[in-house]
Amino acid sequence: MNTTIRRSSIDLYTDEAVLAPYGPYRELRDLGPAVWLEAHEVWAVARYDDVYAALHDHETFASGTGVGLSEDLNKVMAGSTIASDPPYHDHIRSVVGRPLTPRALRKHREDVQRRADELVDRLVALGEFDGVTDFAQAFPLGLVPDLLGWPEEGREHFLAWAAAGFNALGPMNERATAGFADLQGMLGYLNEMSVPGRLCPGSWGAQLVDAAGDGTITREILPTLLGDYLTPSLDTTIATLSSALWLLGTHPEAFDALRADPGLIPNAFNEVIRVESPVRGFSRLLTEDHEIGGVKLPEGSRALLLYASANRDERRWANPEVFDVRRADAAGHVGFGHGVHGCVGQGLARLEGHSLLGALVRKVRRIEVGDAVWRPHNTIHGIAKLPAVFHAA
Amino acid sequence: MKVIVDRVRCEGHGLCEEAAPQMFQLDDEGELMVLQDAEPVPAEQIEAVADAARTCPVGALRVES
Ligand code: HEM
Ligand code: SF4
Repeated sequence: MNTTIRRSSIDLYTDEAVLAPYGPYRELRDLGPAVWLEAHEVWAVARYDDVYAALHDHETFASGTGVGLSEDLNKVMAGSTIASDPPYHDHIRSVVGRPLTPRALRKHREDVQRRADELVDRLVALGEFDGVTDFAQAFPLGLVPDLLGWPEEGREHFLAWAAAGFNALGPMNERATAGFADLQGMLGYLNEMSVPGRLCPGSWGAQLVDAAGDGTITREILPTLLGDYLTPSLDTTIATLSSALWLLGTHPEAFDALRADPGLIPNAFNEVIRVESPVRGFSRLLTEDHEIGGVKLPEGSRALLLYASANRDERRWANPEVFDVRRADAAGHVGFGHGVHGCVGQGLARLEGHSLLGALVRKVRRIEVGDAVWRPHNTIHGIAKLPAVFHAA
Repeated sequence: MKVIVDRVRCEGHGLCEEAAPQMFQLDDEGELMVLQDAEPVPAEQIEAVADAARTCPVGALRVES
């Protein structure tokens, strides 16, 4: 067995690697099942099978000390759903996740579809628009904050806060430190919102505040858990929707296929997340010595599970770089993570995505897009600017 | 082979239903129903059930031999 340590000087967080990550991911996959990244002192796990196995072995690959790369920030996240381990994790997840299950979301289906139809109608009428601000951001921003019950004032900061929060999950580079002031602002806001009566009565956020009132969760953890609703609920979905628009605009045959058979929409949504995974990866702490394919990862070291690389692993997928809305196994992606920490908001993300794509295939004949400008960001892979036109059906 | 549904973890994402439609179905309430024997899983369902367990995004299905 080969037990040499594979090392690499690849830096995944340069502007170049952030904007064009697929070359470096492939290099890491080819180097071995786990590769020590000298630049960040973390094991990169880049192949699908190994990422999947780690996600389903939460006892060895723990989240309780945070899932970012910098220990300072990991401390700030402690106690959130994402930065916790069972059994505590399972308890808070069941509370945070209660309104987010597909079952609980059923009652919002018609409303979400109506909002999607209205947005697409508006954009068809508009002519040229920006696919990011007017489409990918406008939709979740017009929906999710209302479901969560945030007051109007303060919402203008949400995108900056989310960007800062996800940047901070990377290494302590310029992108991360530039967001510190925003993070302070967000923590202050979450404390304020934890005071009973601030959030809209009956909303998901207010239900969480009530749960702290009746002792289901502690008051101390309430701001952190409200944060579970704030940071991950917008930026991830926005990145997905912008990529979806870009992919369907640059692959008219795929859009035609969806128009001919809207039943393909759920699969197409999975395929968007597979091929342009919005979250590049999160880390885990090794709770004991562990071997991956002959490489020994010592207890106490960190492993960076690269979901975006796993989703393009040629060992797992045929023609991984090809966007194929009919791909039979697209649902097997790990773009939402997988296992006990698998995204608790994926039902909502799917509801949003399916509703918007459903509106598009009914109302639009052709999606025209210009050049996409990708966002330089530590964690989120998405588009910053995308000129677009919807040609009416 | 047997399959165990962890009812606490299952959130009704329904991907198991797509992988093994003759074994799993979400009812009108979105509650997961197991349509055939879970222990042992019928021979012709073994492959599909293993597939469903692998695909469940939140690790709510476990198969044991
Ligand atoms: C397309 C959109 C989305 C993507 C790509 C996405 C991605 C992810 C990923 C990769 C994880 C796994 C974390 C890990 O492995 O440690 C995760 C977890 C999580 N997501 Fe999402 N997410 C999306 C939408 C949402 C939404 C809409 C919400 C909230 C309403 C949300 C809330 C959460 C929370 C609270 C967790 C932690 C779950 C746990 O640790 O048990 N996400 N998400
Ligand atoms: S895929 Fe998993 S979470 Fe979804 S219904 Fe099946 S068992 Fe439940």
